Formats: sequence, structure tokens, C-alpha cells
Amino acid sequence: MRKLATALATAAALLVIAAPTANAYEPVGIVHTEKVQAGPYPIVVGFSTWPVRAQQSLDFTFAVDGGVQGKSGVLTVTAPDDTWREPLARHPRKRDVWGLDVRAMQQPGKYTFQFRVDGPQGVGEGRLADLAVLEQPGPPMGLSWGISTVPLLGLVVFLAVAWRRTRKAVLAG
Amino acid sequence: MDTQTPSAATGTRGLTAAVVLFVGALLTFTGLTWDVQWHEDVGPDTFFTLPHLFLYAGSAVSGLASLTAVLMTTAARRAGQVPDPTVGGVPVGVFGRVFTAPLGYLVSGSGAAAFLLYGLWDQWWHGIYGFDAVIDSPPHVGLLLSVAMTLVGTVIVFAASRDRLWGRLGVFAAFGLLAGFTTITAVAFQDLSDTVDSMHVAMAWFVSLILFSGAGFIRKGGIAVAVALGVIQAISWWFSPWATRRYADAVDLPVRDYISGVPTMPALMPMALILIALLTYPLLATTARWAPPVAGGLAGVALVVLQDFQDALVYGIPAPAVDDLLPTALVAAVLGLLAGHLGTRFGRMLRLAAGARPEGA
Repeated sequence: MRKLATALATAAALLVIAAPTANAYEPVGIVHTEKVQAGPYPIVVGFSTWPVRAQQSLDFTFAVDGGVQGKSGVLTVTAPDDTWREPLARHPRKRDVWGLDVRAMQQPGKYTFQFRVDGPQGVGEGRLADLAVLEQPGPPMGLSWGISTVPLLGLVVFLAVAWRRTRKAVLAG
Repeated sequence: MDTQTPSAATGTRGLTAAVVLFVGALLTFTGLTWDVQWHEDVGPDTFFTLPHLFLYAGSAVSGLASLTAVLMTTAARRAGQVPDPTVGGVPVGVFGRVFTAPLGYLVSGSGAAAFLLYGLWDQWWHGIYGFDAVIDSPPHVGLLLSVAMTLVGTVIVFAASRDRLWGRLGVFAAFGLLAGFTTITAVAFQDLSDTVDSMHVAMAWFVSLILFSGAGFIRKGGIAVAVALGVIQAISWWFSPWATRRYADAVDLPVRDYISGVPTMPALMPMALILIALLTYPLLATTARWAPPVAGGLAGVALVVLQDFQDALVYGIPAPAVDDLLPTALVAAVLGLLAGHLGTRFGRMLRLAAGARPEGA
């Protein structure tokens, strides 16, 4: 019991110590950029982490020349096993550009970001092709899920034991 | 902690600790529905956002209530008193006989302790993978399962006092919270299949299991679970967007462009559960052994089909074609049979939370 109490106290202390690192709305720091020409609109695509790895989240910024005022657009992302579209929205922590905040690409492989921008100079399209997303960091997902589903296993074992021990009383009504 | 014999029990014995435990669960639930909406509508995240503090405080309150109950029961037992099993459930020895823990508080406290450990796991995870606000990362699922464990313990604590009105009310309030909670846990299943809507199947299974646990506990318990979930859904439907906007204003953060405006977590909860509980009630009123599984199968199908129409209504998207629904309905029917059978049995087991000491415990 003392060991358990020590482990829990240590966990609580580590949580408190680690907490301040995430105790402020972090600014968007861009460490790598790529250029895309969407018709008449040059776009600088920014990445807060480089290279991009599967399941590792980062900030993407899409800085269109002349700013986002008076412009709208759609981003189409083609992933190795999926394609989705979403409107180009302002980044919540960098409101002067479009972007994706703390977003992860789930699968490794080649991605394409296609931009369709509608602005004062009409509609323009362009793409960032062959964006390489590397293998995921960290432990294998099977191990991570194994660790994370221990409470479920505990609940199942608890219910199974309770089922067995109350069987006679339950069946007796 | 009160430890007199059951015959000397008064109407409110064990009420205070049970209410504190429930308040903890309520704080956690409030924090979760608020946090989900925050990420959907606003976004920026820190360790100490107000919704996060609700989440942490909820588990802390539940954990301290459980710990207090266990320590007081242990102290009373060592002083030679006989623990009252209506206070938190049958007493069980922990670490041999070092501690004596009422069963419900043992389960709820274990969940709270696990929450702490998974919080640490989550911090480590974010250090490697960043602060992507997805609900279905492994550590987040670990945290959700820990809270589910605390809620199961809360149900047991109230069930131990089922002879009192507050005990029965507490069971169904806690069941309602647990049902609402499982709807977000079901999101973890969303990528399991392309042909079956695995997230809706998981939601239907969890909710059916809880519905039929209620029905197995007392005769109209399924209806009571559905009413509790309906009340929780209605309140959180209003609360989560409202709290999100007020908090964003307070910390001077803008709302995202292009939000749907739909309360995210409440929209995952099935609005049709009361109807389904009423429709399956006559079946459960029979004593036939086939009745609970059949009722479960019907509930499973109804839940997944109606959830698609609920999504269409809430999000303004087209309703699905019948052909597309068939694989999902089939899987939900099969799993629903199991949920009906298991749930009804769990409900009957719950009646013994204070009544019969488990053999060998």
C-alpha cells in the first residue's frame, strides 16, 4: 500500500511539475515553409514542426499574399487512404492567416494539399504535392492501446468475478 | 463513515459521502462536455483551461470521497464495529485485511487513482505527439475509461442504498451520467470499419447495456435511465455552447470560422432513448428468458437507425439510404442481444450491492 501511495503521490507531483509547460496559449512558431501558386494568389505554407510525422500534431499556416481579408477558399487534402475538404479558416492563434491548428496527419505517406482561393482577382487553384509524412514516433500503437485499456480490462474482470459470485443469489431471484 | 448494523440504519446514512462522490462525477462530466465544445468552437489549449480544471477537480473530489469512505470504514472495522453494507456496498478486504473498503467506493476510488496515472501518461504522450485535441488517442481513452470506472463505482454506492429514495434516484442519475459519458467513448471506434458505422454501433451497445442494467435493477429502471439521460442531454445542450462562448469572451479568444454551432457531445447522445425504453418495457415485463436479449436486439437496431436520422436533423445533412443502414443495423442487432442479456443480469447483480455478501469475499 505504501508503494502504491508513493506511486500516486509521485504521479501527482510530476503532473504539477509538468503542467506549467502547457500553461499558456503558445504562439505559432513556423520552422519550415513551402510556396504554392494558386492562380494569381501566392500562398506560403508554414509548418511548426519539420519533418511532418504521422500522428504528431503541428500547426499549419497558409499565408495568402495580401492577407485573408476579402478572400475565401477551400483546402482539399489527399492522404494515402483518404481525401477530405474543408474551408480555409483563420488559424485560432494566428488570425491574420489561414491554417490548421494542432492537427495531425494520421497515416505516413505522400500527401497533397490543394488550394482553391476565391478573391478580388477571381478564382485560383494550386497544390502542394508530395508532402512526405514520415512514420509515427513513439511506441507501437498496439502497446499504447494495451496500456490505455487496462481500466477496461479491470472492469471486465470485476464484472466477471461479481457475476460468478452472485450467480446463485441472482438465479434464486 | 457510519458502521452500525443495517437494522439501525437511518434514512440518510451514507448520503453525504455518496453525494460528494456524485458531485465529483458531475464536475467531470461538465468539464468533458465543455472541453469538447471548446476544442470544436474555439481551440487554443493549455493544461489549465477552465474545462480542464473541472475535469481534474471532478476526479479529485471523487477520489477523495472514496478514500475518506475507505479509511473511515477501515478505522471503524478496526475499532470493532460491523460495517453497514448499505453505506457504499458490501465491505471487502484490500491488501489482505489491511483496509476494509465498501465495494462501490473501492471501484470509484480505483477509477480516480487510474485517472491520475493516465493523466501522467497523457502528458508524456503530448510531449511526443503534440497537443492534437483528439478524443480518441490512447491516453484519452485511458482517462475516459478511468472516469467510467468511477461512475460504475458511483452506481454501486447508490445501489447499496436502494431501499431509500435517494439511493434509487442516485443510481439512475449516475447511470444517466455513465450513458452520456459512453457516447464520447464510442468515438474511439469511429475508424474501425468502412461498411459499418462502428461508432454508432459502439454507442448503441454501451447505452443499451446501461439501459438494461437499469431495467434489471428495478422494473421501470430502463425508463428511469432514459429520462436521466434526456435531462442530462437537454441541460448540456444548452450549457456547453453557452459556457464555451462565455469563457472565450472572458479570456479574449475568438470563435473559430465556420463552426457548426451544434453542441458536440450532447449531439452524440441518442434523443430517442426514452421512446426505445418505453417500447421495450412491455417485453421486459415478461419473465421469459428470451425477452431481455430480444429487447436488446431491438434497442440496438432502433438506436443506430434513429441516430443517423438524429445526425441528419441536427447537422442538416441528408438522411442515409436504407441499403447503407443494413450492415450497421445487423451488427447492432447481434450486439444488442448481448447487451440485453448482460445488462439485465448486471442490474440484478446490482440489487445485491448491499444485500448479499459475494461468496468468498
